[in-house]
This record gives sequence, structure tokens and C-alpha cells, in this order.
Amino acid sequence: MEKNGLLPSLDSSIKEIRRISGNSSDVLINRFVTGGIHCALLCCDGMVSTSVITELIFEPITDIPEKCSAEELFHYINEELLLSADRPVIGDYEELFRLMNSGFAVLLAEGMTRALAFGVQGYSSRGVQEPSGEGNIMGAHEGFTETIRVNMSQIRRRIKSPELVMEIFAKGSKSSTDLCLCYMKDRVPKSLTDKIRSSLDDVELEAILTTGQLRPFLENGSFEIFDSTGTTERPDVLCSKLIEGRAALFVDGVPYAIVIPRLFCESFQTLDDYAFKPYYSTFIRWLKYGAFLAAVLLPSFYVSIVMYHPELLNSTLFMLLVDAEKKAPLSIVTEALFALLMYEIIREAGVRLPKPVGGAVSIISGLIIGDAAVNSGLISTPLLTMTALAVLGGLVVPELNPQITVLRFVFIIAGGALGLFGISLLACGVLVNICATEDYGFPYTAPLSPFKASGMGDTAVRSGVKKMQSRGFTVEEYHE
Amino acid sequence: MNSISRYQLAAMLIITDVFGLFCLSGSISLMTLYGILSASALQFLTALIFVLHGKETSKGQQFFYLLYAVFCGGALFSSLWRTSGAIYIPYEERNGIWGKLLTAGLIALVCLYSSSTGLRAVSRAAVTAAAAGLLCILIDFVSAVFTADWENIYRPENQSFFYGFVRGFAVSGSLGSFFVLLEKTRGERSYAAVLYFGAKTLLTAVVILTSLAVAGGIVSAAEFPVITAAQLSQPFEAQRIDSLFLVIFISFAVFSVTLQVMTGAYLLKRLFPKFRRWRSSTVTLLVLGAALLMSGRELILLRAAAALAALTVSAAVKKSAEKISG
Repeated sequence: MEKNGLLPSLDSSIKEIRRISGNSSDVLINRFVTGGIHCALLCCDGMVSTSVITELIFEPITDIPEKCSAEELFHYINEELLLSADRPVIGDYEELFRLMNSGFAVLLAEGMTRALAFGVQGYSSRGVQEPSGEGNIMGAHEGFTETIRVNMSQIRRRIKSPELVMEIFAKGSKSSTDLCLCYMKDRVPKSLTDKIRSSLDDVELEAILTTGQLRPFLENGSFEIFDSTGTTERPDVLCSKLIEGRAALFVDGVPYAIVIPRLFCESFQTLDDYAFKPYYSTFIRWLKYGAFLAAVLLPSFYVSIVMYHPELLNSTLFMLLVDAEKKAPLSIVTEALFALLMYEIIREAGVRLPKPVGGAVSIISGLIIGDAAVNSGLISTPLLTMTALAVLGGLVVPELNPQITVLRFVFIIAGGALGLFGISLLACGVLVNICATEDYGFPYTAPLSPFKASGMGDTAVRSGVKKMQSRGFTVEEYHE
Repeated sequence: MNSISRYQLAAMLIITDVFGLFCLSGSISLMTLYGILSASALQFLTALIFVLHGKETSKGQQFFYLLYAVFCGGALFSSLWRTSGAIYIPYEERNGIWGKLLTAGLIALVCLYSSSTGLRAVSRAAVTAAAAGLLCILIDFVSAVFTADWENIYRPENQSFFYGFVRGFAVSGSLGSFFVLLEKTRGERSYAAVLYFGAKTLLTAVVILTSLAVAGGIVSAAEFPVITAAQLSQPFEAQRIDSLFLVIFISFAVFSVTLQVMTGAYLLKRLFPKFRRWRSSTVTLLVLGAALLMSGRELILLRAAAALAALTVSAAVKKSAEKISG
């Protein structure tokens, strides 16, 4: 779009606006005379509140005493009328359209090369609701919404400290999406925010519609299996991250915030951990570690041990498996891949289908396909048990589910082709990849490797809150 | 800066040495333990001289350590091929030389990827692998404490102390990497040496004593006594420890070879600064070539002589350091 300065003639300016907008129907132009000067109030239909614009803008603005110049009129409106809290001054058409399409009313006056904008946003949006993805028992039941200002207010409500900084800027050459970089200026390393800003400078997208479009710019370019930036849809979780010295990025229109940096161990932590007694939280945490390993490795270990290393099983288990597998017509690897693929298809169908049909999918998959597959002997019961356990284990750590899903398949293939040798080789490769994941100098595997004893209080166990309070942890401790 | 901590350095080196112990062939006895520990003590003293007086390795030393890394990498592959009968790797047994090449090729591929991620990433991963290995060794040791016959360790000796001493040098393939990577280690270097040799001594004692206690009478007949002991060990009532041991064995093999490849690549960079790309690939190919030349032979004397030469070359650093300061 042209970054031309505003034209002084009101008629020419309106003509230019009509030209740029292609006479779009939702650009409303109201011409009037006030204080003896020809003016026009521009707004975007559906983006402003009709009652607010009528009561707070039109009524006072049309009742202005005679002024000798447009400059004097603008000064009066801006300094004395105080029509809204947010009143940016506009100097070019690009800024004019960005603000107008964000729900601002824009005032143009004859002879002026500047315009005044008033924040009178009034578009309809979803209210604050319980987050759908991050379940919590004891914590708040509020989640982020699609409106960036509401999300910012949710954070501000929880952290009233003046150290909390929120920087708003726009990205996307067509969408001009509002982004908000959020951090605690006394906690976050300055180098981190500087590097984030510089990473965002590389964004030249036309539109930003999801956090997934920004995350590659915030992560380093090398091949990483795990994400070194995280997302959350919970304001309380984000507040705890900000207090630990992390930075967050909101994207207007997305009910998630990007958290930078993200550590591997965080995927196993929830806010509920701090609501229960430490011994129970520690137990739950280890349960999650175990579930993660089972989710990735259980089917592949089953496949490789049954195929290549049956001597590792005790005789009872061995006979039981032999009895079950001899009836199955397919090879164990094919069986395992078939069972997992079936699950993935059913899961994907359940996610994409309309909710009323989703129930039917569960019935068909659980009762008909599952039962029929076992009864017909296509899949053996022990293998189905292993697959179900692995899938359930993956659901315990939902944040890592994409990685778990793919790794599970790859490990089954490695185990099926090369037995425990293949699994070990692949495990080494994956381990090195996880350890190589590092953004902005924060190793993804900290505090496990590089080992930080001070971090174990909230990783290997969950220490008491009194003990953690005295620690004053910030993520900078892990910086290398 | 691409530096590592002393714990990370110790983890990488210990993995290589413990893998050497896993692949130890022929009978073992208490004399073997005494011999290996004496060799470690001598290496420790020489390492201390290097740490206290050495500033920087000379070009000649770097060239020697490059050859040593290639030789040790080849010896590691050779050990892996020799143990393939005891450690079951599908396809390798049935397909002869092609099976061995497939195994080596796959390991080389993982090593190549690992070394491409850099020293820091591999050292972090090595700490995790070393911790898992330590857990495996501890489970084996604790179960041996309760179930094995500890009288077995006093079985009549049929090995000399000197042979144990020579084997002690032969299984010290990480010496060259120690001297080279010490330059990249943060903090007090003498502490890094104490940490590495201390942990090595402790683990050697635990592994050999456990193997002697568990394997008992068949230790003299076993081709690979440590592997046999791990296979015989039954820490849980209805489950042997093989599967965990097998995973640890392969992981240690990968990290051991990766250490040699990374050391070689780093030295190539120091020796030939203009040689920027394909350094790791070049060293991996050289290592595979060395392994083919060794073709599964143990070469105890040659390995011990090479380790002794590495120690001697490191002791020469004092002179070069004096030259630098002079």
C-alpha cells in the first residue's frame, strides 16, 4: 500500500481513500461541518461500536464552537475534548487504513495533512472461556481469547507490577496483524528480547493467522524434532512463565501465546502440580516421564523383543505371546503399524468431524473396528494392549503428542528392521537431536543436561512452595 | 563459545573406556583389575603433568592425536564386529561382511549426524547416556551383591599382572581425546582430570568385580566375560538385564565412535584451517578404513603401544609450552 502523506484537500483525500479501498462497502465516510470547518469521520463497518461512536464522538464533535483554522480544531479536539483514551495521530494512508480496520474512527479535516484516530472498537468477539486444551483442576478456568487486548488485560490483571512490559506492533504486509511482545523487564535477559525483536524483523509474511507461522522465525533454522518455543492458552500459566524470566508473544486473532524459551521438562509440569502436596506432585511427574517413554518406545520394544530377542522374556510371558501371535495372519511390524495407523485415522476423524458425529466415530472405532479386528484375529490382543497403553501414555503429555506420534512409528520400523540394535541407534540420534535443540542460548534439555542441581527441585521432584519461594528462579540460570 | 563442562568431558571419555571394558576378550581375574588400575594411575600422573604444565598442543602433537583418533575409532568398530556374536544384531550374523558393513555404516551414519550437531550437543547427550549406563551397571552390581557368589573373585589366577597392565592401556582409547578436548573444557582442568580418572577407576573396579562375581567358573571360558556376566545377571526374579545392557552397549558404541570422529574433525580443523567442509565425513571414512584393516582383530599390544605413545607425546607438551613462553 502507498505510504503517501495525507492530502490537505478533504475531497482529494476522500477520493484517494476510496481509490485505495476500491470503494469497499464497509468503509463508512461521514462528512459534516464543525467549528466552521469541513470534516469527515471514517470508520469500518462492524469494527466500531455504534453507540460509543454516536455518544462519545459524534455528539461532542458536532457541538464545537467556531474555530479559525483546522489546526486549532484538531488541537481543541485532541487536548480539550479527550474523546477516547487511545488517540493516535495519523500521517499517512497506510497507518490510516491499519487503524481504521482495527476499529478506530478517523477524523479528517479540510486543510490538514494529519488525521486524528479514536479507539472505539466494538467488534463482536468470543468471551473468556475455559481453555479446551490445557485441563486444570485447581487453577483458574479462564483461557485466552482471540482478541489481543483482552489477552493483555488478563495478564495485567494477574501481574500488576510496572515491570511487566507489553510492546504492541504490527506484522503482515496484508493482514497488519497486531502482535504483542510481553515480558518482565526486571526478569528477562535483555539479550533475549533483543534477539526476539531481531528474529521478528525477518518476518515478511503477507498474513499472520496462527502462531505456527511465527514460531519458525523464533526458533533456529536447524532440524529440531522438538519445539524450542511453546504455546499456552492459560493466562495463569503464562504469568508463571513471565515471572520466571521468559518472554511471550501474543498474536491478534489467536487464543494462544508463544512462550520463549521452552524447555523439555516444562512439558511435564502443570499448574496443578503446585496445588497438591509435593509427594503427590512428584509421583505424578514421574508418572508422566514414564508415560512419555512408554508412549514412544513400548510398541517398538514389543515388536523387537518378540521378533528378534524372545530369550529376554520369561517363559510364562513368552508362551502367552506365542499363543497370541501364532493366530495373527500379519507380521508383528505390520500389525503394530496397522493398529497405530487405525488409531491415528480415528483420532483425526474425531478432531475434524462436527461434534455430534464425533460420538458416532468413537462408537464405530471402539466397538466395531476394535472388537472386530481382535475377534477376526487381524490383531493380537497383547499387541493391541501395548498400542493402547502407548497411545494413552502419549495423551498424558499432550504438548509432545505430535513428536510422540511420529517417533513411535519410526521406532517401530527401526525395531522391526534391526531389533534392539535399531532402537538403540535411533535413540542415540534422537537424544543428540534433543540435546542440540537450543535457542537464544537456552538448552532445551536444561536442567537435565547440562545438569543444574538447583533446577532439580522442580524437575526430578516438586519441592515445597516455601523452599521454591526462597530460590527466586529465573530461566537465565540455564543460559549457556 | 563452544566449550563444555568437565562433567561433560568426563562423561564422553568414560563412555569410551567402559565400552572398551565391555569388549574385553579373554579371561579376567583380580590381576586384570590390578593391572588396569595401575595403568590408569600411570595415565593419571602423566595427565596431571600435561594439565599443570601444558598450554597448547603443537602441530606435531595434533597430527599424532589425529592418527590416534582414527586408529582408536577403527579399533572400536573392530571391537563391535568381534562382539557381534555375543550381542545379537539382526542381519549381521547372516550376511557376513555385508552385514558387518551395514552395521558399521548405520553406526557411522548416526555418528556423522551426531558430530554435525557439534561438541556441546554430543557432550550433553553423552551425559544422559552415561547416566543411563551407570544405572545399568549399578542395577547389575546391586543384584550381584545380593545374589552372586563373591568368593568367585578369588579364583586362582591364570593371568599375569603385566598382561593386565597392557590391557589397561589397550582399553584407554579416550586418552587422545582427553588431551585434545581439555582445551575446550571450562573451569579447573586438573579437577577435570581427577574427575575423569577417579570415575574411570571406580567404574572399572565395579564392572570387573561384578563380572567376576556373576560369571564365576565360566569366566575363563567366556569369550567376552563382561558381556557374558551381563547376560547371566538376573537382577529381577523373572527378568534378565540383557535388553537394558544391549541398549546401553550400542549407545556407548555410538558415543565412543562419535568422540573419536569429533576429535579427529576438530584436529583436522586445527591442522588445516582451509579444510572447512566434510571434515567429519573424512574422519568417518578414515575410521571405517582403519576398521577394515584391523578386520576384527583385537590387537591388544598395538593398542597399548599407541596409548603409551599418546601419553609420551602428551608429556612432551612441557617442552613445547616452555618454548611458547620462551
